Amino acid sequence: MRTDPPADNIRPTRPFGGTLAFLWTEMLVQAHESLAMATSMVTQTVLILFVYILNPGLIGVALIGAVLFSAFTLGQRVLNEAAYIRIDHKANDLYLAGPMSPEGYFLGMAAGILVVYVAPIALLGGLAVVVGHLSLSTSLELLGLSGLVWLFAASIGYIFSTFFRDNRAIWAYASLFFNVFGVLPPVFYPLGFFPEPLRPVALLMPPSAAAALLQSRIGEATLSMGQTELALFGLITETALVFLLAIFWARRTVRGP
Amino acid sequence: MSAEPLWSENLRKTYATKGVPPVEALAGVSMNVHPGERVALLGRNGAGKTTFLRIASTLLRPTSGSIRVFGHDVSEHPERARPYIAVVPQEGKPFFHLPPREMIYTYLRARGLSRETSQSRTEEAIERMGLTDFADRLCITLSGGQRQRTMVATVIATQAPLLFLDEPTIGMDPFARREVWASLRDLTAKGSTILLTTHYLDEAEALSHRLYIVERGKVIVSGTSDDLKRSVGGTLKVSLPEGAAHRESFRSFGETVADGASLTIIVHPERLGELMALAIQRQLTATVGPVTLEEAFLRVVGRKIDED
Repeated sequence: MRTDPPADNIRPTRPFGGTLAFLWTEMLVQAHESLAMATSMVTQTVLILFVYILNPGLIGVALIGAVLFSAFTLGQRVLNEAAYIRIDHKANDLYLAGPMSPEGYFLGMAAGILVVYVAPIALLGGLAVVVGHLSLSTSLELLGLSGLVWLFAASIGYIFSTFFRDNRAIWAYASLFFNVFGVLPPVFYPLGFFPEPLRPVALLMPPSAAAALLQSRIGEATLSMGQTELALFGLITETALVFLLAIFWARRTVRGP
Repeated sequence: MSAEPLWSENLRKTYATKGVPPVEALAGVSMNVHPGERVALLGRNGAGKTTFLRIASTLLRPTSGSIRVFGHDVSEHPERARPYIAVVPQEGKPFFHLPPREMIYTYLRARGLSRETSQSRTEEAIERMGLTDFADRLCITLSGGQRQRTMVATVIATQAPLLFLDEPTIGMDPFARREVWASLRDLTAKGSTILLTTHYLDEAEALSHRLYIVERGKVIVSGTSDDLKRSVGGTLKVSLPEGAAHRESFRSFGETVADGASLTIIVHPERLGELMALAIQRQLTATVGPVTLEEAFLRVVGRKIDED
């Protein structure tokens, strides 16, 4: 019997270690669900169609909303996937009882899902640019805000996933949060249509905050100086806080209580 | 590094759930696993084996006590222990939409191994575990036993210094189990250390240098399988198909169990001649065989249950 462990098999845990490898893993796993990529666009397509029928002039708003909604609902996919592979496959135990970092596991999973689902979102984004006549700066703003909304949603999704003990419960509850906060507030329609007393609330919700900022850029919403700051800094601050919380939570929940 | 791969002292774990009485899963487990050893943790369902494994593998907090992996305090600094370990979780499954080859390779990459090392270890594990014929088929198309082989291959390919295997061969056919055993022996020969749980006592006997039996959260026996067999009064078992009526005459040789007309006696080898002479004198036919680990386990655990 030898007495020393083979040193070449010991890999220290590094912050965000394993992110790219798990991103690749998740991409390979998700890429097999090609039908899911198509069905991920159903709600957006239906809502775009409704807006077009009711008011064709707002198609640009609806397309921008569809991009943001798509980025937001990727959080639901993170929630579903994280809970499923933890409960059903024990992937947490396999991957996290080792040198891979917990935050790398979370971020790799979220990014892997994003990479696979980015194509239909990019298609919607392209349509928004062309149909909504978005300038380069507005297009870049759409890209950046969609990224923030995705990061917020992915972080929330991962945190929520840790509370589920049963896959059946996920089916019942997971879509609730993402659909309610992605559809009810003014994401697919202008902020001006939303009851005025509730507008600060809409400006504090990441998908509708991003939508309001973009609607303001294309002249479909009027934001006061305070409202712009509320939407922008609210979105940035909430995303940063939730992302940091997700990292903290990923590390904390490796071990059961 | 000279510290023991695994050392625990008076480890306790109580599950406290609101509204139900607390459950004491571990009631003071002390054990150590030496470098290069294969140690089996045995016990009935719910005895505390998986709880111990989950605490040792940094996946569960202990309530009290100490536990160290290569000298690193698992309770206080689990992140320091993690680089040394790999785990086959109980009822774990590979990703269904990956083939075994991708599963093993991407897992090794996620653990920080280089492309070249990951590739060579993946191929080695595939060949060693008999996965070659289905290494490129999606895991969803594989049988339960093949998936389990993929899980074990994934973890042994790490060649981690300390491996925790929770029922690693469950659902495997006897050939596949032996392939796993051979792989685990190879791994310890290369310097790894293994702690495994199993309900297959032939596996524990064939594979482990030492074993611990856990019952109701406590270690009730530890040692080699021969030690365990000796602890029940002998290493040989004599069966007398018509011997039940003569039970009293054979009591002095060791533990006797009557079942219908037949009698079974556990005896030390040095007293076998004497016992056989008595059987011949009584004109009883006798069959002699070794006491199996399973029989010893049933007696040791059964005795403990009776005491409790």
